[in-house]
Amino acid sequence: MRDLSSTPAIDKVAIDALQDVLSAEHAALWCYSLAVAFLSSARAEQARSDTEAHRELRSKVAQTLTEFGQRPVSAQPAYATPQPVEDGLSAAVLVVVAETDAMAAWRSVLERSTLPELRQVALDTLTATTVRCARWRAVVGLTPEIPVFPGRPDPPR
Amino acid sequence: MSDPHLVARAEFGEAPRNGEMLRRDRALRPPASTPTRRQVLSALMLVPVALTGACSLPTSSSRAGLDPLIALADRARADAALAAAAVAADPDLAEQVKPLRAARAEHAVALDAEVARLDPGAVARTRPPVAADADDPPPRATLTRLREAVLASGRAAADVAVGLPADRVGLVASVTACCAAYGALLI
Repeated sequence: MRDLSSTPAIDKVAIDALQDVLSAEHAALWCYSLAVAFLSSARAEQARSDTEAHRELRSKVAQTLTEFGQRPVSAQPAYATPQPVEDGLSAAVLVVVAETDAMAAWRSVLERSTLPELRQVALDTLTATTVRCARWRAVVGLTPEIPVFPGRPDPPR
Repeated sequence: MSDPHLVARAEFGEAPRNGEMLRRDRALRPPASTPTRRQVLSALMLVPVALTGACSLPTSSSRAGLDPLIALADRARADAALAAAAVAADPDLAEQVKPLRAARAEHAVALDAEVARLDPGAVARTRPPVAADADDPPPRATLTRLREAVLASGRAAADVAVGLPADRVGLVASVTACCAAYGALLI
């Protein structure tokens, strides 16, 4: 592995990856805020706990970008949902979509950065996101509950 | 379920899509001065969560010239075999263990393919000709042991992942996350 101590610690590609992660975290928070109203109390509790995790991630990523002198990308005022959200099941489906997008964004950070510290954080977060996603996939009834290749775009099958 | 990648789309015509917003930012704001390694550390170490466990920096390619993905593929096969043995020992586990067994088998195939992509002869050279699925199941093939094995496999993949080139890191990161999630969710 290259010695990174004498080279720029982070480059534009990695910054863009972090902005994409931030976009995904914004979207996830929006999805949870919509979904929670439709979920039963136990699942709503889970959704609130997951919301806290995403809120913390969003805050840390935004803070990181700011410290790099970048303006953190803003949330959209609203997002198009793949399906109408009208009951507990469709709400859980939306959360699965949000977590799936977040997994892809965090995996992409690993592919678009070389800094070990950043990659480690992205790897840990990919894992945590996979666990959240798996719980919601179980609610929806998707199998396998745990994705075989979390974050991989366009599975070739 | 429909295409799972449709979320981040603005509903209002006025609002730029994320990509456009990013491009606009780029035009307005050229990259600031390069942050130091220390800045990166101080900023990113704040990001929480460490399910994959503490991992030191890459010890990959520990044995000279050997593709580190070969060992990960072997682990995937061993986990799949252990899962099969656990079901043989207790058929009631079949339903619970089947997805893990299938996932680890898929990991082995994907890792082998990646090894072969860089060196088509590598797998044949380094693997003994004996089938990885042993005839006699290992002793104590229990759910606990399976969980420990898949967690250890996740840690091994995590150790390798961080030092891999960009075109390989995604696969190994996915294997890491999948193994760690099974370790976390498999009771």
